Amino acid sequence: MQTDPLRRAIAPTLGSAFLFLLLLGGSLLYTANGDASSNSLVTQMLINAVVVLGLQIYIGNTGVLSFGHIGFGAIAGYTFAICAISPERKLRQIPNAPFGLAEIDLTPLQSGMVALTLTIIVAFVIGLALSRSGARSGAVAAVVITLALLFVVHEVARNWIDLTRGGKTGLSFSPLGNATLQGKVPIYLILVGAIALARLFKETRAGRLAQAAREDDLAARVMGIDPAVQQMIALLLSVAVVSAGSALRVFELGSINPRLFFFDYTLLTLTMLIVGGRNSVAGTLVGVLIITAGSELTRNLSGMDVPGMNWLLRDGLTDIFLGGAMLGFMILRPAGLLGDWEVDHWLYRRLRRAESPPAPSPVTTARSTSVLQAAKVTVHFGGYQALDNASLEATAGEVVGLIGPNGAGKTTLLNVITGLVRSDSGRIELDGTVLTGLSPHGIARSGLARTFQNFRLFSALSVRENIGVVHLMATRFRQSRSLPPVDTLVTQAGLWEHRDRRAAELDYGSARRLELARAAAAGPDFLLLDEPTSGMSDHESINMIDQVRSMAELIGAGVVVIDHDLNFITGICDRVYVLDQGRVIAVGTPAEISVNPAVQAAYLGTTD
Amino acid sequence: MLDIESLITRYGTITAVRDVGLTVQAGEVVCLIGPNGAGKTTLLATIAGLLKPSAGRVTLDNKDVTGWAPDRMLRAGLALVPEHRRIFSDFTVRENLLVGGVTQPASRRQELLDEMVTLFPVLKERLSAQAGYLSGGEAQQLAIGRALMSDPAVLLMDEPSLGLAPVLVEQVFDLITRLRVSGRTLFVVEQNAQRMLAVADRAYVMRSGEIVADGPAAQLSAREDLFETYLGQSGGST
Amino acid sequence: MIELIQQIIDGLGRGGIYALLALGIAVIFGVMHLINFAHGELITVSAYTSYWLFASGFNWWFIAPAIIVVAVLTAVIIEFVAFRWVRGAPDFTMLMTSFGVHFLVQALFVMYVSANFRQFPRPGWIFDTWRIGDLSLEVFDLAVIAATLVTLLGTYWLLQRTMFGVSLRAAAEDFDTARLMGIRSNRVIRGAFILSGVLAGVAAIFWLMRSGQAGPTAGLNPMLKGVLAALIGGLGSLSGAVLGGITLGLVEVLLISRLPGGTAGLTDGIVFLLIALLFVFRPQGLITVRRVERV
Repeated sequence: MQTDPLRRAIAPTLGSAFLFLLLLGGSLLYTANGDASSNSLVTQMLINAVVVLGLQIYIGNTGVLSFGHIGFGAIAGYTFAICAISPERKLRQIPNAPFGLAEIDLTPLQSGMVALTLTIIVAFVIGLALSRSGARSGAVAAVVITLALLFVVHEVARNWIDLTRGGKTGLSFSPLGNATLQGKVPIYLILVGAIALARLFKETRAGRLAQAAREDDLAARVMGIDPAVQQMIALLLSVAVVSAGSALRVFELGSINPRLFFFDYTLLTLTMLIVGGRNSVAGTLVGVLIITAGSELTRNLSGMDVPGMNWLLRDGLTDIFLGGAMLGFMILRPAGLLGDWEVDHWLYRRLRRAESPPAPSPVTTARSTSVLQAAKVTVHFGGYQALDNASLEATAGEVVGLIGPNGAGKTTLLNVITGLVRSDSGRIELDGTVLTGLSPHGIARSGLARTFQNFRLFSALSVRENIGVVHLMATRFRQSRSLPPVDTLVTQAGLWEHRDRRAAELDYGSARRLELARAAAAGPDFLLLDEPTSGMSDHESINMIDQVRSMAELIGAGVVVIDHDLNFITGICDRVYVLDQGRVIAVGTPAEISVNPAVQAAYLGTTD
Repeated sequence: MLDIESLITRYGTITAVRDVGLTVQAGEVVCLIGPNGAGKTTLLATIAGLLKPSAGRVTLDNKDVTGWAPDRMLRAGLALVPEHRRIFSDFTVRENLLVGGVTQPASRRQELLDEMVTLFPVLKERLSAQAGYLSGGEAQQLAIGRALMSDPAVLLMDEPSLGLAPVLVEQVFDLITRLRVSGRTLFVVEQNAQRMLAVADRAYVMRSGEIVADGPAAQLSAREDLFETYLGQSGGST
Repeated sequence: MIELIQQIIDGLGRGGIYALLALGIAVIFGVMHLINFAHGELITVSAYTSYWLFASGFNWWFIAPAIIVVAVLTAVIIEFVAFRWVRGAPDFTMLMTSFGVHFLVQALFVMYVSANFRQFPRPGWIFDTWRIGDLSLEVFDLAVIAATLVTLLGTYWLLQRTMFGVSLRAAAEDFDTARLMGIRSNRVIRGAFILSGVLAGVAAIFWLMRSGQAGPTAGLNPMLKGVLAALIGGLGSLSGAVLGGITLGLVEVLLISRLPGGTAGLTDGIVFLLIALLFVFRPQGLITVRRVERV
């Protein structure tokens, strides 16, 4: 399924078209009687939908909470207004505008383009700042940086009177001939573009890698994904959509003031985003509908006079509704109504041909002849010496075991090799290339892939997608290796039946096998496995021997495996290193190791 | 004193403890040995209330305490010395001990504190030192002392010798012996099996979430096949 | 020189209030890893309380303690209604929950009172100055500094010397182990909210004496200042929060006096920008307590 156009392009496009037509049809029906207030309600809803779709592209795919998008909206809105307002009006409103802006006279389309360009430039800078701060799902630094943008833009808009006319009156350009956008084609064009962009972005390489990092930042990094790049792409696209929507909003309202793009609008759009489901484009639109309908309903209710209900039916009910919706959904249903469901998932299931598992591939990849060396690695945590001059060498033709009692430093050694822990001294080399000091994703791209003791899958993604995203990375950075297709790996892990299930729903053994297959998908020279059998029954761990062997053969990689199960270790390893208190105390074949008195002592303690 | 019946603990889809039953009598030192990943720590965490069991029963002094929260468990008379000691490293030694006695009335807390410094003379000298700077052995004594501050009927210990230098490991086992002599009821999870069996009354062996062997410590210790049982080569080839 | 001393005292006055707010936010972050963007609502509620009590003829001597009581009650109610239910949830959920509370409380006041700001009289002495040589000191600043000192000392005593304080710090350092020691989660978290309420209450008294108005968004500015100060201090650290608050106050005063005319209105924006830059280059805050991470 390397590229499955039905799943990645055709179905999403059809789904987007369906969502758009539904919105279009609904709007036309609702405004058929032509009264002005319903017209304006629908127009505003469609414009809000564009802005919220813009938020979805960033927040949904990366999980990074941004409060600043409405700040981008303010930049776009002001730029648009300043460019589009006629020079005569500008001479009255902002005669002292700097840079000769008062004389500029652009069409709305041109103004929109200028606004878009400017906000994208700002977004690029903010994106660099976010990546420098290490933004990831739920990161505090990202909240602060984006809030700062919102505030700084707001303050500038209020205080730079020459440019913005300040906070009291704002800029206005109505009447601008027949300026209203109601029912106009541009809104629909931008809306359909935003829907398609948001939906298709989820299926692009950048979108999929960003989602993987959203699910587990660390696992994504050690699989060779650099989230910073994907987050930047998501941010730029998302800001472009928000800008377009904000320009439309200003055009539609015919005026702009600092309050228009501040906390209230942030609240409104974020609530719309989370109610329907921030990870879904269909959900985003459902959220926009529900919140628009709810706001409208509460607004009407608040004007009614029902005896005994006056305590509730009064001004401000709409804000209570919004705040309550945000709070209620966060407490009761944080993933929103639709979670990450899309219309086209249903469509895809209908349209796809019956799938059959790929035939077991007889072609095994040529074994790489790589050599992995960890030389004299020493690590301290505070006063605790986790590793003391530990060395290990493995060649791609063998399976090397790493055993030792709890706390011996096995996982720490693996962490040092994969770049998660910095060693005090010592070096890691792969075929003579020094890996010490590289980032985790750089090390993964050099040819080391690992699993975790407490596995870290991309839990909201499907089994196939867990392997698929890593495969995507490998097709770019591990071209030198011949990579087995995703479905072959799925089948190899015995997960064909479960291929469309979420990783979070797998039973323990399956999850372990998935993590192994995911590491294999990275096309590594070495698979580094941290306790692949922990928590398994004896029977399951025996099966794991074949599983690891065949997976390693399939991709032609060497294996370094930590485990406690001696049956497993004896069954799979060519050589075994024994670690105790951070030092290598023995190296040898499993048979040699099992009769080594020092090893027995390390495990069982001495009797004297 | 402490009775566990058919206990099952799951994390999501993982069953870490499968149908475990065991008993600890008053005044006994019982140990639980087994390889890493066998589910020993999960079992202790479930007994202490940090994890909710999916099935089974925990009784303490004939009272059903299944699923109780850890603070309630402590008040019922069961304390746990957690794995890695988990002392409050920003606190002074004295404060660590005081936290341990949070459930005691103020006067009794002071008495217990005096008892602890008698039991652990090392701590007496370092009462106002920051606990983060203690050596591994001192920190382990502090962790045990802190748990004893609640004057528990049963004390659970998770890997007390973990990460300690050999000399300090000796100290820990001496300490367990002292506690045994003073009549404490202990249930200890320990990697260092032979050393632990030497100081325990009875033992259970756990593997893959199940109890696979049990009996008087001396008997288990003498079993030739213990190493194999322990590391999963019971039915094995070698 | 004289000017600088005056500015420092002015900065300490502001910074003291920020420190109290930041400390409350840090205490809650410590026990439940929640950045409480609803902290400002305690000020909002206090502001309306002051307004109503003034309207009913009470004076500041009665209102000041009443503010503390009301702030504590509000904190406890917010914990019970909202934060209790998202304990241990992902960061995204907790952040959005605290924003949700912020907006909901604001909406309640818009609905049941008014969107407009209401004025109430400020105490007469807040504009008084004492002259010592060339130095003219605002009595208000001195009062704030004194009250802050007393409150911080009281908090220090509470945290260091009482069992409640020890429990709170234990829960902040390692929640699970604290529970193993018999510390009750509900109680210690409620305690944290009560403490943050008291601290916010003291801050509110002075904040409101100076602003003299109540409105649905009255808490926004103090909340932001508190959060920013706590962030400067590295969030979890209590002493960091206090230092962060004072740093923020000093920086603000120095900025206001040094910015060219016309741009003074941008002070808040510039401070925010500086803090954002701080986060870009030191995501862990200015004052960092590095702990050994377990692997």
